[in-house]
Amino acid sequence: MSIPRIFATLAFFFVLFIVQESVVSLIHFPIAGFSLYLAIVISLIALEDNNGAIVMGFLGGIVLDLSPTSNAPFGQWALILTIVGYAVAANKESIADLTLSPLTFVLFVAFAVSVALMAYLAFGTLLGEGNGSFRRDIVIVCANAVWTIIFTPIFLPALRNFRRASLTSRER
Amino acid sequence: MARGSNNRSRLLLVILLVTALFFITLDLRGVSLTKGSRSVTQSTLAPVQRTVSDIFSPVGRFFSNIKNFGKTKAELDQVEIANAQLKSALTLDQNAKGELAQLKGVLDLAGRGSYKVVAARVIGRGSAATFSQTITLDQGSSSGIRADMSVISANGLVGLVKTVTSSTSIVQLISDPNFKVGVRIARSQSIGILQGQGTNTYSLQLLDPAGTILVGDSLLTNGSDNNHPFVPGVPVGQVTWVDHTTSTLTQSGDVKSYANLNDLGVVSVILSAPSAAPSTPLLPTPAPIVTVYITAPPAPVATGVAVPGTPSASPAAKSLPTPTPTRTK
Repeated sequence: MSIPRIFATLAFFFVLFIVQESVVSLIHFPIAGFSLYLAIVISLIALEDNNGAIVMGFLGGIVLDLSPTSNAPFGQWALILTIVGYAVAANKESIADLTLSPLTFVLFVAFAVSVALMAYLAFGTLLGEGNGSFRRDIVIVCANAVWTIIFTPIFLPALRNFRRASLTSRER
Repeated sequence: MARGSNNRSRLLLVILLVTALFFITLDLRGVSLTKGSRSVTQSTLAPVQRTVSDIFSPVGRFFSNIKNFGKTKAELDQVEIANAQLKSALTLDQNAKGELAQLKGVLDLAGRGSYKVVAARVIGRGSAATFSQTITLDQGSSSGIRADMSVISANGLVGLVKTVTSSTSIVQLISDPNFKVGVRIARSQSIGILQGQGTNTYSLQLLDPAGTILVGDSLLTNGSDNNHPFVPGVPVGQVTWVDHTTSTLTQSGDVKSYANLNDLGVVSVILSAPSAAPSTPLLPTPAPIVTVYITAPPAPVATGVAVPGTPSASPAAKSLPTPTPTRTK
């Protein structure tokens, strides 16, 4: 990833983070809340190559770690999303060409979001954070997956255009 | 070539993982750089959240209201009738009225407890990705709010101020899994610890082995030294379930909060409280029911002399007895 693209991505993530914290968090979704931020970050990760996915995961995690409502230590989301970025990049080609099958892409993103949330909970437990009842956590993870499946097809075309526009001529 | 690319990816992965672990270590060791970054974010977010909250609050419950589409026709008919009646009352802004009602309730509770409070509007909620149960208030240190102050609504304890900037503050709700508060049972004065579970019910663990919990017991905050972080006597909730198993030394149970945490519009932060606990319990009391009886006056006895101009002289007046309203509480 080029340096200008890193800054462009960082700025995009920060705007997305503000939308998540200011607008999406205010909506009372049935079952449990939805993280638009995670859905978009992981969708972008899934569109990248190996190095791009790892860097995007790290950047996305750093911005999410800025959340003032988080109880977790700064850097926890960066760690989780970097690992998820690597795992997504390493495994996506073995599943299918995600760019040709939007449905597979959406399901893959929803699965990756669920894995990221569960990894976050597991790592938090290792650090001694209280995560509440297991049943409630599972409900939140499942609800996030469901909302990701519903909303990802809506923003996916715009996300692809954004990615295409942010690529430098060399990267194209 | 591909092998070289893989090695580079792994090297990048290791570097970024070490960086993330470095940040985590710094944070856990209490380095102010990472804490400061969240404070800066909160200050940046506050104006946006305040604006969005003003615009968005009337439609924020759109998705939860969708569930009501499946109601039966009878219920829909009732709703239509109620809707028609409510239309006449919609001359005032309902959002403002709701906030006013909440503010009135919370100030009423604060007044009964002789607490010095500052009222604040809820402008944000915790993100779904962080699993934390928090709200953001539009008042901060410039209004006298500090960390570790109790936050109440009209019905009781809401949470505790976690972090503060000059214009906003983040409150950890009692439903947060990391939230713990010392409580006492109003009936028996037994002391216990209440902990959030991430849901609408909280777990109560008694500290006294001889103490008992009964379903319906009301819980009040036990208070802390110098009233920080918790002031004594604030209503917390009601016991809904008791664990009767004999495997533990002390009894435990589930508690439902008096405050509706899903519907918080206006809350109060307790700045200071009297040194002693409130002399009268602050438990929520049901609103008084006003019953109006309309009784007809005894029928006038005919005397055979009718005075012109008096009600008894008019046939219409005779057929419509003047009602005497009697108001009883």
